[in-house]
Amino acid sequence: MGFLHRHRNLTPYLLLAPGLLYLALFFVVPLCFLAYQSLESGTFDIGYSFTWAWGNYWDAIHNYRDQFIRSLEYAGIATILALVFAYPLAYWIAFRGGRWKNLLLLFIVAPFFVTYLIRTLAWETILADEGPVVGFLRSIGILDDDGRLLATGTAVVAGITYNFFPFMALPLYVSLEQIDERLIEAAQDLYASKWKAFLRVTLPLSLPGVVAGTLLTFIPAAGDFINAQLLGSSQNHMIGNVIQSKFLELTDYPAAAAMSFVLMAAILLMVAFYARLVGTEKLTG
Amino acid sequence: MSSVPLAEHAPRESLASRLWAFVKRHVLTVYAWLAFVYLMLPIAIVIAFSFNNPAGRFNYVWSGFTLDNWKNWDGVPGLSSAMFLSLEIAALASVAATVLGTLIALALVRYGFFGRSATNFLIFLPLSTPEIVLGASLLTLFLNTTIVFGFWTILIAHVMFCISFAVVTVKARLIGFDRHLEEAAMDLGANELTTFRKVTLPLIAPAILASLLLCFAISIDDFVVTYFNAGSEVTFPLFVWGAARVGAPPQVNVFGTVIFMVAVLGMVANVLVQMRRERSVA
Amino acid sequence: MTDVLSRRQLLERAAKGGAVLTLPGLLAACGGSSSESSGSESDKTLADTLRFSNWTLYIDNTKKGHPTLDMFKKETGTTVKYFEDINDNASFFGKIQGPLSRGQSIDRDIIVMTDNSRYPSLLIKKGWLEKLDKSAIPNIKNLQPSLQHPNWDPDRDYSLPWQSGMTGIAYNDKLTDPVLSTDDLLENPKLKGKVTLLTEMGDTMTLVMFANGDDPSKVTDATFDKALKRIQKAVDSGQVRQFTGNDYSGPLSKGDLSAAMAWSGDVVQLQADNKNLHWNVPEAGGGIWTDNMLIPKGGDAFTASTYMNFVYKPRIAALIEDYVNYICPVVGAKEELEKIDPDVAKNTLIFPTKEMLDNVVGFDSEALANQKYLEAWQNLISS
Repeated sequence: MGFLHRHRNLTPYLLLAPGLLYLALFFVVPLCFLAYQSLESGTFDIGYSFTWAWGNYWDAIHNYRDQFIRSLEYAGIATILALVFAYPLAYWIAFRGGRWKNLLLLFIVAPFFVTYLIRTLAWETILADEGPVVGFLRSIGILDDDGRLLATGTAVVAGITYNFFPFMALPLYVSLEQIDERLIEAAQDLYASKWKAFLRVTLPLSLPGVVAGTLLTFIPAAGDFINAQLLGSSQNHMIGNVIQSKFLELTDYPAAAAMSFVLMAAILLMVAFYARLVGTEKLTG
Repeated sequence: MSSVPLAEHAPRESLASRLWAFVKRHVLTVYAWLAFVYLMLPIAIVIAFSFNNPAGRFNYVWSGFTLDNWKNWDGVPGLSSAMFLSLEIAALASVAATVLGTLIALALVRYGFFGRSATNFLIFLPLSTPEIVLGASLLTLFLNTTIVFGFWTILIAHVMFCISFAVVTVKARLIGFDRHLEEAAMDLGANELTTFRKVTLPLIAPAILASLLLCFAISIDDFVVTYFNAGSEVTFPLFVWGAARVGAPPQVNVFGTVIFMVAVLGMVANVLVQMRRERSVA
Repeated sequence: MTDVLSRRQLLERAAKGGAVLTLPGLLAACGGSSSESSGSESDKTLADTLRFSNWTLYIDNTKKGHPTLDMFKKETGTTVKYFEDINDNASFFGKIQGPLSRGQSIDRDIIVMTDNSRYPSLLIKKGWLEKLDKSAIPNIKNLQPSLQHPNWDPDRDYSLPWQSGMTGIAYNDKLTDPVLSTDDLLENPKLKGKVTLLTEMGDTMTLVMFANGDDPSKVTDATFDKALKRIQKAVDSGQVRQFTGNDYSGPLSKGDLSAAMAWSGDVVQLQADNKNLHWNVPEAGGGIWTDNMLIPKGGDAFTASTYMNFVYKPRIAALIEDYVNYICPVVGAKEELEKIDPDVAKNTLIFPTKEMLDNVVGFDSEALANQKYLEAWQNLISS
């Protein structure tokens, strides 16, 4: 057969090597330095020294529990919203897109070409207090007469949902596009309604995409800070904002490092739980 | 109406059910259009404001239509070089990340090996690391070497955080991939490389494209990690963030619009070429 | 000069030749941890290039580039490599502290940082700045008297103002009666939810302390706590909508905000498109800050100082001011500007009256460096 076939055992390692080595050098090494920093103590003026300062971790969890929880909340809600909004769109592109599929995919990522700040400023214009959207919501009673959308938790979640939309839509599309339409036809030939065919055939086959999309959305969203900074008030700030301020304004690098690791641990715990829930084959194939 | 035995397969098509089928069929399309409107709304505003004629330096309030920004597209020093740098880096980073990521995805999905679940978790780590500490730690790494900050450090950073996205996206396609096609090819005498090129790759092409698009978008939009590792180079997001402090000039909008239009035209051209090719074959 | 390259020369050569370095160069780089900056050898020769990092759009700007920089080249022969890579004090410091703390040069001769943040004084404290070569800056006599002795650099040994700005209150006269006091901003129920404060502790605290009748240039624990509590109350009651950097400008011009704590220079720009916006120094007192030119360690002090001298010529300062429209620190620029652009010269937000200047003060720089205060402040704006 082939060389790789004979040396089956080697193949995975050969495939992994370039990417993993790259990550090992440019991610793991910096991460180790970060871990070292997280156990330092001192102040910026005097200097930091390594003292196995596990207290940094305790402080992180203890003092900023609200922001941690809020981050996971906002990211979770945004992920669910993104899933609900993106799935039908991905489905439509995959099954009805025809030869225009690639162009439509481009439209999904197009907002990223104008940089985050410009997008957000545009949304600020759209969601302005005296703008059409808020006016409409006020007239149908969802908002009070002096209610607003900007500088609230709602705006932050909406911002996260919008900005992470492609991260959900593209993996969904990738999985949906693979589904052989004849399977769906077969199901309908066997008397399944369109809806049932979807639930029993399409949805399960698209689960790898759902899992991929939710992970690619939730994980980075939990550490986001920009949406909260521009669209939220001080009571909507996420853990990303705190880490940002610890690093930049307070130059408290050990605290920022420790908080980052607590966040990473929290996220990975949730991912592990999620993997168990979904069944690991969907995650790892 | 008398039913014919053959028609037992299909349910009786009354007017109501046909109408309902019509609505159902088009609901999805209507939804898709609305979704695109939602996605494009900020772009529309950006395009609109590229024609704005603000008297001051801020471009927030509509003050009058003008084509000056377009005629004067190169009027802001540093903006076009920032944009070209961003495009260059995004293109290279997305390709590199997709290649490395596809290899990893293949290994993870198709082989069981020692360290498989560890690798799966390792892939998620860069995604979960807050950008500011990621950027700063990478900066520290670079400071301990003698590398010069600029194009290469930015590129290295971008590839690094894009790999995870590429892996997860391609994996979604590989799970559920029908391996029989590959086996058939090999049974017919193709070696691994040919099979990969002629069978596997075309079938996972949508995932590769999706990964390229996603990585490109992430790279062209990245701010924090780039800020720390750019040295003296200025990418488009860096420029915009700086300019916004005193008023982002409308030329920023012009550039955003142009890039978007170029990409759209590129894709449309691609489709038209394909159509012509199909017609000539037929 | 010995064979061992100084760190700065090493980096300069590397910049010219890419990342490939010679072996002696590598050894020098790895072995030498002390900063052999040529800035401290007072060579009185002008370098060929001056590397100047500044905030975006903060110098005279035309399609073809920056006229004053070209004029500098014509006069002295030194080309200015101009970088607009500063958009926030904290982020810029976060970036440069890496190399500076390792004794490496950041490849700049001039950087510009604001003194309503702790970073300029922190840089001095850490010894990461070169002293100005005052013998090369006779025009330093043109510095505004009120800016000559800031509490963090009393003799202006390390810094020289580039531009100045005032912190005050902006309001939209279509949406509210004139908002002239900080009390109004914090407690007037008619403004509830339509008010923003600034994320910079130095800015916001100055105004609130003045409103409390305290002196922001001499902060004590008691006065700090009192101001903090007052702001916390305003946040809890929903009076304060957000803490912003300069992103108040969008909502202010669009009418989402009735009033905001704002910087003078921004409002000059906003007023051009929205005549309903006004800016005042609050009755109880406002803040003034300066963006200062600093010479980082490893920079060429002589060439940098020569440039600073050039910029302090009233005519040059006027040219720069015509575009930037913040507050000019150079005496005599106003008269020059009256000849070129009288509208700008008359604008009190660019050339404030003595009355305005008497009513503004710079925040206590010791307090800016107080970690306890900073943490309390961050907890307030990021709860």
